[in-house]
Amino acid sequence: MTNAELDVDPLALARPQGSWTSRLRFDRYSALYLWGAFVVFFGLTQSAYLSTASISLTFGEKTIVCVLALAFLVPLVTDTFDLSIGANLNLSLVILFKLRSEGVSMWIASFLALAACATAGFISGYVVVKLKVNSFIATLAMSQVVTAMSLLISNNRQITDKMPKSFNNIGTKRPLFNLPMYFYFMLLLAAILWYVFEHTPLGRYMFATGGGREAARLSGVNVDRLTWGSLVVSAMIAGFGGFVFAWKNNIFQNSAGPGFLFPAVAAVFFGASQLKGRANVWGALIAVFALAFGIKGLQLSFGAGTFWIEPLFNGLSLLIAVSLASRQGIIKIRKRKAVTA
Amino acid sequence: MDTPLLTIEHLSKIFPGQVALDDVDLVVRAGTTHALVGQNGSGKSTLIKILAGYHQPTGEPVATLLGAEFPLGDGRAAEAAGIRFVHQDLGLVDMLSSVENIAMGSGFLTRRGRINWKAETARARDDLAAIGFDDFEVTMPVGMLAPSQRTAVALARALRGWEDGASLLVLDEPTASLPDDDVQRLFDAVRRLKARGVAILYVSHHLDEVFAIADEVTILRDGQRVTTQPIGDVDKSGLIELMIGHKLVTKRSGAFDPAGAPLLRAVNLAGGNVRNISVTVLAGEVVGVAGITGSGREHLVPLITGQIPSIDGDLEINGRDIGPYAPRQMIDSGGAFVTADRARLGNLPMMSVTANTTICDVKRNAKRRRLLHPRERVEAKEWIERLGTKTSAAEAPISTLSGGNQQKVLFARGLRLVPQVIVLDEPTRGIDVGAKEEIHSIIDNAAASGSAVLVASTDTDELVRVSHRVIVLRQGRIAAELVGAEVTSTNIERAQLQSDHNSQDGLR
Repeated sequence: MTNAELDVDPLALARPQGSWTSRLRFDRYSALYLWGAFVVFFGLTQSAYLSTASISLTFGEKTIVCVLALAFLVPLVTDTFDLSIGANLNLSLVILFKLRSEGVSMWIASFLALAACATAGFISGYVVVKLKVNSFIATLAMSQVVTAMSLLISNNRQITDKMPKSFNNIGTKRPLFNLPMYFYFMLLLAAILWYVFEHTPLGRYMFATGGGREAARLSGVNVDRLTWGSLVVSAMIAGFGGFVFAWKNNIFQNSAGPGFLFPAVAAVFFGASQLKGRANVWGALIAVFALAFGIKGLQLSFGAGTFWIEPLFNGLSLLIAVSLASRQGIIKIRKRKAVTA
Repeated sequence: MDTPLLTIEHLSKIFPGQVALDDVDLVVRAGTTHALVGQNGSGKSTLIKILAGYHQPTGEPVATLLGAEFPLGDGRAAEAAGIRFVHQDLGLVDMLSSVENIAMGSGFLTRRGRINWKAETARARDDLAAIGFDDFEVTMPVGMLAPSQRTAVALARALRGWEDGASLLVLDEPTASLPDDDVQRLFDAVRRLKARGVAILYVSHHLDEVFAIADEVTILRDGQRVTTQPIGDVDKSGLIELMIGHKLVTKRSGAFDPAGAPLLRAVNLAGGNVRNISVTVLAGEVVGVAGITGSGREHLVPLITGQIPSIDGDLEINGRDIGPYAPRQMIDSGGAFVTADRARLGNLPMMSVTANTTICDVKRNAKRRRLLHPRERVEAKEWIERLGTKTSAAEAPISTLSGGNQQKVLFARGLRLVPQVIVLDEPTRGIDVGAKEEIHSIIDNAAASGSAVLVASTDTDELVRVSHRVIVLRQGRIAAELVGAEVTSTNIERAQLQSDHNSQDGLR
């Protein structure tokens, strides 16, 4: 996975001069077009689709996926995979509920939940950087270790309703556009990451690490520290995902985290084909919501008992979007090479 | 043998906004080596790519192969007609062994449905021995092989099963990453092939090679054929003038201050093929490093820049002791380098020219941790202008540039640090003569402004052109030191060969 080209619109070089279809840039904005098409189509066919309740439900529901997508994105920029994000979400969630049920204060429980995730990320980082284990394998293994910890702590039981009112309020309050508070927390997090990636030297160093690890190292970039740090940050963001889950559902269950892994990873890769053509924050979020609105519409159309639609739709959209983008990419590269040859 | 094997008439290729080939004729005779030379952008790559079927010609060129009509721009037809290619990037899979890489084109020998590794390995060994490379383990991943060995693997793959209907072998910059002694081995292989009556179309930036191997030469400039001549009718400077249209400086002129400060000091360096080397470079001085491959020449710069770990020795840059394997300290002490392995250790391929230029010191264009994109772009554009880098935009990915222009970006990356010590490894490898001359002037200017420069190169003409002093390495140690007027191609080559000879004696 290469994902590093900084503040380039690589296609500015070869702006489509041709047909109106190429001007619409389906390759770079397919998710936005898709989203728009869903809204128009299902909006016309399903009366419940565009109700305020339905829309805010979809945005709220997908906030957790967005947070995990951001968690996956951070190390991916340095060309490092973190497949333990789902497990880390679970770890944070179980610690939160367990400590609350033991009567620990909310602040201390929150702190310990995040600290536990940071530790898990730190260990992943150690394995990847110091023991030089491929990040895909290292974090896949870590996800199992972390899951074991969660099971140990929870004793494989559900825990519910242990949060103080002030905490739950974040889940129920809807400050703007009828969207829950935590949705705005997620947007804030996304904005911070976007700023760091695009507008700080740190972000540049991260992309350089992802683009050519050895070249970056020889240019004085501390690639090991960036890789390590990105895994810690990723785990902490996933831990924050546990908070979002708690705000929204007010329950701990062992199955909470892992189910979000695929949609989050898919959104990042789908999003990487969008906008700038490399892994990016807004592309990932747009991808999450474009898919969510499609699924919502299909479920309304087909009625109850259509849970299978979601994974099918997620999988197919990822395949189509990425192949569309790489096809365009191949044509562009051929053209460009031809010009410079 | 004077029968034309391949004839091409009126070949043109027009890309949007650019005429790459303009009514080019080419005749390649059987049993000859035909060199195709020209600067980057002269159209030779396009011509090769049309032959390979990667591009389609514009208009209706006429081509014949062995008297029969031959469709240009059709890869299958080229393959069927017995045309084989070795491209510059070789197209090897690093993780697979030589055996597997060679078999990729031809298919594997099988016995009862499973690969007969024993026979396959023997076959690979034979194929490599046939072109003079029998000295490495064929089951090793090719990623771990030396550049010359990788080239041999690519050549062996192209040649496998070629006996039937063989017509034309196209070698596109086959020696771009080869040291001199391995070039000779490649040439031997080429001569053997030629003796079989096939023709070879040879594309190279190394004009010495063209004179050594070619029978005829066709010169392209700006997409047009300048001339085709028997190689005996033209000399090197004449050839260069035909390619670029002006004379080149061939020998360094101007001295440096011998009382200058010693800015780079390496003491008892060891690591890789380097056994024990001590060298000091003064302010304003350019020191060349020569030596055959294996002499340590190829590892001296990687050692200094931390590309490979050192075993022993001290390194001082600008009076500051820097630990081994520490790129950051080197940069902070005022050092800059350009690697020989541009693709892997130099370029950040998908990133822009701007990002590639500024990566060693991004913070310079940041204010309170905020990156000021406009300021960064202005700086990058200044460097593009100063070094004459040809790029469509400062924001274009570096991978869209030609080799010579990528190299200029990497020079800009180092030079913008205003380094007091510059360490260069094969600074003009795989770069055409025009860009080469420009890079040589960049080196001149850096020294003139007081930097200490160390240049390792296999190109002796280059060392003569840029160096005040040349050290010749042998068996990981300094075997000879040439100063001032002693620095000539003949002297360097003699010192290298003597060294080689002595080393063999020493082994016995």
